[in-house]
Amino acid sequence: MIEVLAQVEMDFTQWLAPFSERWWQETTCSALVGVACGVLGCFVVLRRMALIGDALAHAVLPGVVIAFMLTHSSGVVGLLLGALLAGLTTAVLVNLVSRFSRTKEDSSIGIVFTALFALGIVLISALPRGVHFDLKCFLFGDPLAVGTADLWMMAIIAPLVILVVILLYHPMKISSFDPVVAAAMGLPVLLLHYLLMGMLSATVVAGLKTTGVILVVAMVITPASAAYQLTNRFWVMLVLAGLFGALSAAIGMSVAFVTNAPTGPAMVLVAAGLFTLAVIFSPSHGLVFDRIRRWKLNLHIQSEDVLKAVYRLTESDTPRTVQSVAEDASMGVARVRSMLDRLRTRGMVLADPNRVELTPRGEARAVQMIRSHRLWESYLVERAQQDVASVHDVAERLEHAHGLADEVAAHLGHPEFDPQGKPIPPLRDGKPATEPGG
Amino acid sequence: MTALTHPSESPAATQPAPIEVVNAMVAYEGRPVLRSVTFTAPRGKLVGIIGPNGAGKSTLLKAILGLIRLDGGSVSVFGQPLEKVRNRIAYVPQTEAVDWDFPVTAMDVVLMGSYAGLGLFGRPGAKQRAQAAEALEEVGMTKYAKRHIRRLSGGQQQRVFLARALCQQADILLLDEPFAGVDAATEKAIFGLMDRLTAEGKTLLVVNHDLSVLDRFDLIMLLNQQIMAFGPTEEVATDDNLRLTYGGRLSLLDRADDTLKYAGPEMRDD
Repeated sequence: MIEVLAQVEMDFTQWLAPFSERWWQETTCSALVGVACGVLGCFVVLRRMALIGDALAHAVLPGVVIAFMLTHSSGVVGLLLGALLAGLTTAVLVNLVSRFSRTKEDSSIGIVFTALFALGIVLISALPRGVHFDLKCFLFGDPLAVGTADLWMMAIIAPLVILVVILLYHPMKISSFDPVVAAAMGLPVLLLHYLLMGMLSATVVAGLKTTGVILVVAMVITPASAAYQLTNRFWVMLVLAGLFGALSAAIGMSVAFVTNAPTGPAMVLVAAGLFTLAVIFSPSHGLVFDRIRRWKLNLHIQSEDVLKAVYRLTESDTPRTVQSVAEDASMGVARVRSMLDRLRTRGMVLADPNRVELTPRGEARAVQMIRSHRLWESYLVERAQQDVASVHDVAERLEHAHGLADEVAAHLGHPEFDPQGKPIPPLRDGKPATEPGG
Repeated sequence: MTALTHPSESPAATQPAPIEVVNAMVAYEGRPVLRSVTFTAPRGKLVGIIGPNGAGKSTLLKAILGLIRLDGGSVSVFGQPLEKVRNRIAYVPQTEAVDWDFPVTAMDVVLMGSYAGLGLFGRPGAKQRAQAAEALEEVGMTKYAKRHIRRLSGGQQQRVFLARALCQQADILLLDEPFAGVDAATEKAIFGLMDRLTAEGKTLLVVNHDLSVLDRFDLIMLLNQQIMAFGPTEEVATDDNLRLTYGGRLSLLDRADDTLKYAGPEMRDD
């Protein structure tokens, strides 16, 4: 264990590394790839095309090898053109296969990209002797291969991607959301699809050098999926995904420099970490906020139940103590005490801690609850055809939705009595009528 | 049996008809879905397209919209080829074809209706936003403008998609099953809205398979691969016509198609 820790502890030259020129270059390049991948990933994720990111990355191989054959170098421009060509070939072939054969789209993608990847490997073996093509670097990435030329390439591609997405934001949004209606409006849906695929191949080929074929798909779908957890607006998702992509790349790169871990996997792990956090803290369906919401709802329901119990005891002239209220509401004494405190701070129960007595405000709320309860009972019996005997428990829960009581009353034609013949307190000046102190 | 063309009775008879379909044919994998469909939809009418499953109702709408290639015949819109008048037609697809998890609010969806008139690089501005707000108001969904579409009920979702078509401010609306998964109150509201639209001179083609609301349409097209009857509801919605439409395919025609495609037994010489 100590030995392991000793290994983790780095020497100080490594600590300085994050601010070296090389670090800046690679981090900037990766962050740019991250932004572009994140933004484009939103379209991939929402169109359920996660596999296409994988496919484009793999299918780039024959393009890269052919470009390598023709230019006899691994120059950036040659690679980029090869990748673009291969990417678009993939997109067109996938489209053709699924349209003209009995093959579902995901299977078409699988058939096309594996075939192209296989072609790439065969082409490598056909390269003249003495020419070395590092397949391992292609598969797993090699940050040392990132040079100034790559940085320049991304410095052009990333802003270009963002510009295109901004300019074509609306058409791209509707063709992702509702391609049929977009086509009916006369928008060039297929052309937009190929544009997206082209941008994605260019970005993916730039990302290949750091992450490699196998992991690059994570940079496309993970930041976008994290963003998807957090928002219901498309443009917010695009911004967040770009941000997450850049963050994953920058943090991953820094961590890798410091700990001497491989950079690609470090970036992917950071992205996965961000995704996990997004799942946990998502405001709409995240675990944490869901808990908080439920806890608050419970608090609300319990305090209203205590309020009602106090009201009932007042009505029947029973002495009101914490114990008797607890008994009436069938809740624990400690619980009732804390609920009474809560009601005191809200001005519904008299502030004197030795007395359990409703304020006029608390009483109005209690009457409102009873009104709500009886209206819901009527509604359940009349509209939901439920048995009179069985509605009490359901109404006991529904009564807390007293904001809806007026709508229920209007629906039922403002009844005066509930199914058991108990009077339903009427409204006065928009509030339930009560005699102060009575 | 024959495709009746309803005589245009509006004063604007000199204007070209909103939709004129002549001898339209559509086939999937060599199997006909629509056979020589010919009809004219007059201005300001609510036209119901009625027929059993697989009768080609949705296909007909898509063919009119140019989403499906015709294998014969022609479609003209206001006397012109579709491409020239595309943004005068709005389309409301079946709700089951919609991705309800897409991160958009009701307002976002409605605003998409304005894209038709904006072109590729246009952006919706204050005017389009006002149109969208008005469309939402018209379907009674203003309250839910900011709500994510997944959190709307079936009827509310349907109304939002209708509002998108309204926002497009088209003269022709094609609606595919707008009453699917909708409660009676919403159905009534949608019919009321449709009546207002036709009163404004808009033409509506509504695919529907529910026979109980036939009398709400001005004109009815009974469709089962071909037009079995087309005309004013009270003339067309007869028991005989309905039986003809719903009483199974013209099986001899289907068999002839199969024979011609696969060189079946009827073609052998022995």
